[in-house]
Amino acid sequence: MEALLELNLVTKVYGAGRTEVRAVDGVDLRVDPGEIVLIMGPSGSGKTTLLSMAGLLLSPTDGDVVLGGRRINGHSGSELAALRLRQIGFVFQAYNLLGALTARENVEVVMNMAGRKGTAARRRAEELLGTLGLAHRLDHKPADLSGGEKQRVAIARALANDAPLILADEPTGNLDSKTGREVMDLLCGKLRCEQGRGIVIVSHDHRLVEIADRVMWLEDGKLSQRDKAAPLNA
Amino acid sequence: MLKLAIRNLLHDRGRFLISASGIALAIVLILVMRGIFAGSEEHAVAYVRNQPAALWLMQSGVENMHMSTSILAPQTVELAAQVEGVDAVVGLLYAGGAVDLAGQPAYSYIFAVDADAPFGGPWELAEGRRALEFDEVIVDADLAARYGLGLGDTVRIFETDLRIAGLSRGTFGIATSITFVNKQQLAQWMGVPPEAASYILIRPEAGYLVGDLAERLKQAIPDANLLTQEEFIQSDKQMIRQMGADIIRAMNLVAYTVGMLVIGLTIYTATLERAREFAVLKAIGATSGRLLGVVFAQAFVSTLLGGLLGAALAWVLGQVIGGVLPEMLVLLEPDYLLAQIPVVLAVTGLAALIPTGRILRLDPMTVFRE
Ligand SMILES: Nc1ncnc2c1ncn2[C@@H]1O[C@H](COP(=O)(O)OP(=O)(O)OP(=O)(O)O)[C@@H](O)[C@H]1O
Ligand SMILES: [Mg+2]
Repeated sequence: MEALLELNLVTKVYGAGRTEVRAVDGVDLRVDPGEIVLIMGPSGSGKTTLLSMAGLLLSPTDGDVVLGGRRINGHSGSELAALRLRQIGFVFQAYNLLGALTARENVEVVMNMAGRKGTAARRRAEELLGTLGLAHRLDHKPADLSGGEKQRVAIARALANDAPLILADEPTGNLDSKTGREVMDLLCGKLRCEQGRGIVIVSHDHRLVEIADRVMWLEDGKLSQRDKAAPLNA
Repeated sequence: MLKLAIRNLLHDRGRFLISASGIALAIVLILVMRGIFAGSEEHAVAYVRNQPAALWLMQSGVENMHMSTSILAPQTVELAAQVEGVDAVVGLLYAGGAVDLAGQPAYSYIFAVDADAPFGGPWELAEGRRALEFDEVIVDADLAARYGLGLGDTVRIFETDLRIAGLSRGTFGIATSITFVNKQQLAQWMGVPPEAASYILIRPEAGYLVGDLAERLKQAIPDANLLTQEEFIQSDKQMIRQMGADIIRAMNLVAYTVGMLVIGLTIYTATLERAREFAVLKAIGATSGRLLGVVFAQAFVSTLLGGLLGAALAWVLGQVIGGVLPEMLVLLEPDYLLAQIPVVLAVTGLAALIPTGRILRLDPMTVFRE
């Protein structure tokens, strides 16, 4: 089976000389279809940096990123944008919805960018939002939605172009525990099983261990496998 | 993407309104300053512009009205009148001087033609008559009204009391006004014979080409300078631009620079304020081209609206100023207006491009921060 994402000895160094920070240090990671990988680690350990490289938002100082069997090397800005658009769905802690657009339009906009327009896009957006329990919030703008609702819109947006890989950075960071749990169940449960997507979640949230297939630990830029059952911070 | 741009603008109505108003005010500043400049220039050539004389004869070497003295020999008027194709000629005496209204001197262009001249006097009369006796004068109606003067009242020019016999319109300027006196009177002040003329205004017969007539006049009167009405106007404007209007020109330049900077800064900050949304778009897969499309659409829609609003406001303001201060002509020239469009668009594009360059190079991780 071809991996959705492979990181081979990926390293990111910020700055140089005395201000040099080795944020990610020789990380290997493989994500297969249908797999939920949770990456945990203390603040400043390099989680966001790692996810940014996996999401083609940041180029590694060293090592390879292989997305859907394609080694990322020397791609232009617009080639990377096209890959992000179709291959990767992002879920951010801060939701990052477009404030001027309604819930439905926020989902439609990425489909429009990928060339799916008109009623087809509209129906797909409604269907996705419906699955996520937002059928009654289609025409609300982000400012009129609760945090959980906003995150569900963001999830719908991440799924809209059928990207095989979903990257989520602290997706429950701004949500209370009950809402966070509901949102993650939606993201990971039904949608993943049905469609075999791979999901990488970066989080401090211990409760996410329950839904993850694999838990990794990142500390000082180095990644290690953790036993799911092992106590945290051990 | 245009849709997204417009939705963004309409979403943030307050912000949009502030941007458009900022741009509108900048445009008003630019257009009104230029309008005052152009208006004062236009006022200086108002006399020449409003006479039905296609050709103007003046002393050899003279090319403008206000910065030179022209005197033609008395017989020149007769000579010009006899040239074939000339319908009418009017000998005009002209001098600059202070007109004393109720103790307040006002600098004035003073014109005099014969009482029975077919033209050469005021082109619009509010009250009174054109034909002037020796001790009579026509002053601007608004100027007279400002000092509480009317028909029959007295003004003083060159130590002489003159009675107001007519009140003209369109003859009041910021720095100077236009005054008409009796020709014998002005000749006496100037120390020239009353048949003499500073300029000769020539109206061609219907059907005669101005160019052909000009050739014949040059042959008949070789020792004088002949200009068409438009040449004379342009040469006067040119001279005004070079001479007295330096301060206005400097103010105009400052207003222009400030106005363009305001437009640039407005667009710059409006674009920068959306940096995060643009970064999000980029992160979720928008290409740089698409992103630029949104940025430019937002910038140009703001400028377009602000520009239209500004042009309309400038026109209204010009009308209001003209109503309150009749000497202040705010002339909005369509040519000038059109010429500003590419400049304003370039400023807008540049102002939007600078922060966008930053956004495109932006640390993509901003989208991961709260
Ligand atoms: N643009 C940058 N320039 C320099 N150093 C950076 C930059 N971005 C991050 N760092 C440093 O790299 C290290 C890892 O940062 P990163 O944001 O990836 O950590 P994190 O694990 O996501 O932390 P948190 O849990 O607080 O979000 C930190 O020491 C941080 O200060
Ligand atoms: Mg982080």
